[in-house]
Amino acid sequence: MTAEAGAVTVRDASTDAPAAASPVVDPYAERAAPRGRFLYALNPLAKLAAPMPVMFALIFTRGVVIPTVLIVATMLLLFVGAKLGARTMVGLLVGTPLAVAVLGLSFGIWVDPARVDGSSAAASVVLLEIGDWRFTLAAYLVGLATALRIAALVLLSLLAGLTTGGPELVRAMVQNLRVPYRIGYTALAALRFVPRFGHELEVIRAAHRVRGTDHGRGPIAWLRRTVGLAIPLLASAIRHAERVALAMDARAFGAHRTRTERTVSRWRARDTVFVVAFWIAAGALYWWVLSAGVDGGFAV
Amino acid sequence: MTSASAAAPLLALDRVSIRHDGATAPTPDGVTLDVHAGEVVLVLGPSGCGKSTLTLALDGLIPHAVPADLTGSIRVAGLDSAEHPVGVLSAHVAMVFQDPDAQVVTGTLLDEVAFGPENQLVPAAEVLERAERALKLVGLWERRRENPDRLSGGGRQRLAIACALAMASPVLVLDEPTANLDPAGIDEVYAVLRELASERDHAIVLVEHNLDAAVDVVDRVVVLDRAGRLVMDGPVREILRERADELLELGVWLPVSSLAAMRLADAGVVLDPLPLTPAELGAALDARPELPAPREAGAGRPPSPPHGASAGPAIRVTDLSVRRGGKRGPVVVHDVDLEVAAGDFLAIVGTNGAGKTSLLQAIAGVIPATAGAIDVLGLDPTRADARERSRRIGFVFQNPEHQFIASTVAEELEVGLRVQGVPEEDRAPIVERVLARFGLEHLRDQHPFLLSGGQKRRLSVGTALVAGAPVLALDEPTFGQDRERAAELLGMLRDLNDEGTTVLVVTHDLQLVADSATRTAVMADGRLLGVGPTAEVLAGPLIEQAGLRHPPLARATRGLANHPGWHGVTRMAQLPVAAGVGA
Repeated sequence: MTAEAGAVTVRDASTDAPAAASPVVDPYAERAAPRGRFLYALNPLAKLAAPMPVMFALIFTRGVVIPTVLIVATMLLLFVGAKLGARTMVGLLVGTPLAVAVLGLSFGIWVDPARVDGSSAAASVVLLEIGDWRFTLAAYLVGLATALRIAALVLLSLLAGLTTGGPELVRAMVQNLRVPYRIGYTALAALRFVPRFGHELEVIRAAHRVRGTDHGRGPIAWLRRTVGLAIPLLASAIRHAERVALAMDARAFGAHRTRTERTVSRWRARDTVFVVAFWIAAGALYWWVLSAGVDGGFAV
Repeated sequence: MTSASAAAPLLALDRVSIRHDGATAPTPDGVTLDVHAGEVVLVLGPSGCGKSTLTLALDGLIPHAVPADLTGSIRVAGLDSAEHPVGVLSAHVAMVFQDPDAQVVTGTLLDEVAFGPENQLVPAAEVLERAERALKLVGLWERRRENPDRLSGGGRQRLAIACALAMASPVLVLDEPTANLDPAGIDEVYAVLRELASERDHAIVLVEHNLDAAVDVVDRVVVLDRAGRLVMDGPVREILRERADELLELGVWLPVSSLAAMRLADAGVVLDPLPLTPAELGAALDARPELPAPREAGAGRPPSPPHGASAGPAIRVTDLSVRRGGKRGPVVVHDVDLEVAAGDFLAIVGTNGAGKTSLLQAIAGVIPATAGAIDVLGLDPTRADARERSRRIGFVFQNPEHQFIASTVAEELEVGLRVQGVPEEDRAPIVERVLARFGLEHLRDQHPFLLSGGQKRRLSVGTALVAGAPVLALDEPTFGQDRERAAELLGMLRDLNDEGTTVLVVTHDLQLVADSATRTAVMADGRLLGVGPTAEVLAGPLIEQAGLRHPPLARATRGLANHPGWHGVTRMAQLPVAAGVGA
């Protein structure tokens, strides 16, 4: 009951808080959910659970139709359901086809010609010939399908990735999935280390540059350099982690089996509807492609 | 409060000895003391006496979270700390640690303050009440939605205090809360502590080496000696005034104003009682009808350059601008012109973000100059390679560990010579000489990371100079260190300077600047406001223009109404000495 009241107070306070203009994406900040964008209103677990079986099925999917449909559908979901920055939108719209094209070509070149079905019409279409090495349309299609699958996997993971903050996800895992809070919140605290260590590594690099020991070519020099950077970084990382652990202990972290949750993470009917609808739509897609025999289908 | 003092103590330590794993002797050793409600206790002692260790034991982190042997007993609100976990004790004792970066767990200020009470299963409505009260008290309520990373060091330390307050514990323990802060941050934290101390709601236990900031906040002082034994316990004014000589002998630093008064006493000007703050020193001086004339500004330091050689500047910086973070990064140094003569000891001072570190790094070639020219002994550090550079200028980073690359102390020095292409047989004698110069001979086979803080610092200076650089540049070398270590380092830099090394140092400790640097450059907002002889700069208006605070001695002498001749006295060496005019 009291937890409810607390949660309400937080919401009220958030409406009049001035939005701090942050130049970089802050993985911790609680963003006020933009109105009318349904993805933010969903439980983070729903956004993970819905695409999960589809992502699993994708690994065993052949052909280009299923991943292409999934890519387009996911993009539509993101554009409608999330409030994306201009840069992200351009990245998605331009970056995805570009990445698919480049990856598709390189996968196509790398693919083992013996594994390409030589009897199909596409196998006789030669796109490029150097000596006795041939790059056939069939090989390109195999590469393209792989690239599309990867792109679809990435986009599906963005459904949760672009619309969920770290604390929100941890809350949902702790409250709805019953993950022990000690694990969830420790992971969240550890996330803070990442930018800190990045900065620290830069300073250590500069320090070694000043000493003139960043020279030398070849794998051995590279290895020595990397170890040289890793030792001071590790030393300071361990010290930092110990200090943070002490500070958390001193604030009663882990003293009780549960902790007060100011914000309640709920699994609502709309979460169930979203997950079920997602599964039905994906199932229908697979059924249509496989039964109509449009292309490839499952690889075993 | 009298009834509270008569009641059971909040903290009761009985013959507490703590020995860290691997240590031979316990520090602290046999400490017995009680802390009652409303008391503000300052713990003093030389480096390594176990002050910080003692604070870790007060809320049970020792022995529960840190491996160490604890004998004797600590009772927290009547609970034996050995038998109750930290989580239970944290309801009675809240902690603030030294490093502001290592105490942040969550993503917003509000979540951060709520973190402790949430762990204590306090109902959500009360969590918010406590968080609001604590954040308002430290002046951060308006910024509750922000990421703690966006706060300054002083702001983050105020946040840590708010987090401790939100625990609603009657005892607040602070372990060197300002050691990692610049003067502005120190002032912010002490403004909060002063308010807390005056409310008398909490018992406060404070470990602090910066007595100038702490002395008018605390009312009781507890002193440990080098072996960690409790040697003094009493009212702060009584102990600092009446046992000042003993304290100095123990290796405890006194407020600058007290040190100045003790020096004056040697010269025949006895100020009684011993002043503890700049205001008290100023008032005591003004109360005297006459004072001996101060010594001239350059007293105690050789005039630069020491050998009278006017070979021209060692460093010439013309129209220098520097960007941070690539071509699109912000310009952090604007159009700086600076000349540093050979043999100078130059301090670069300014608030956080004034661009002083960037200027120094550009001069040493750590980061490239964006526009303008730098000349270090005829070399452009932006274009030269590391080998050329390290023959002219050595750079010492804030954290000495960052620069270590070898697995023994001797090797660490040898690497610098190998890079220079010095033949193997010639390296050994140079390494020996540097080891001897920095007092590291007996540690030659030690791993650099296993040295003590002071030894690490000496080794890092040694590696910077091993290639024979006549110029040494140091970035905040006293950051996070106590007075004793800082003074040791400054002493070494003065010696090097006397031997002819040109020293450039970026720092925010203005009293150390006053007592060591021959010249001082003041920066604000990326621009050089001015540069000149230290005493002149400190006596002039530049310090205030840059948003800095005068060092304690200057604060005491600037306002003297009866002794205008003393207005320029900013450094200890300017005070009259025994054999001088005072007699």
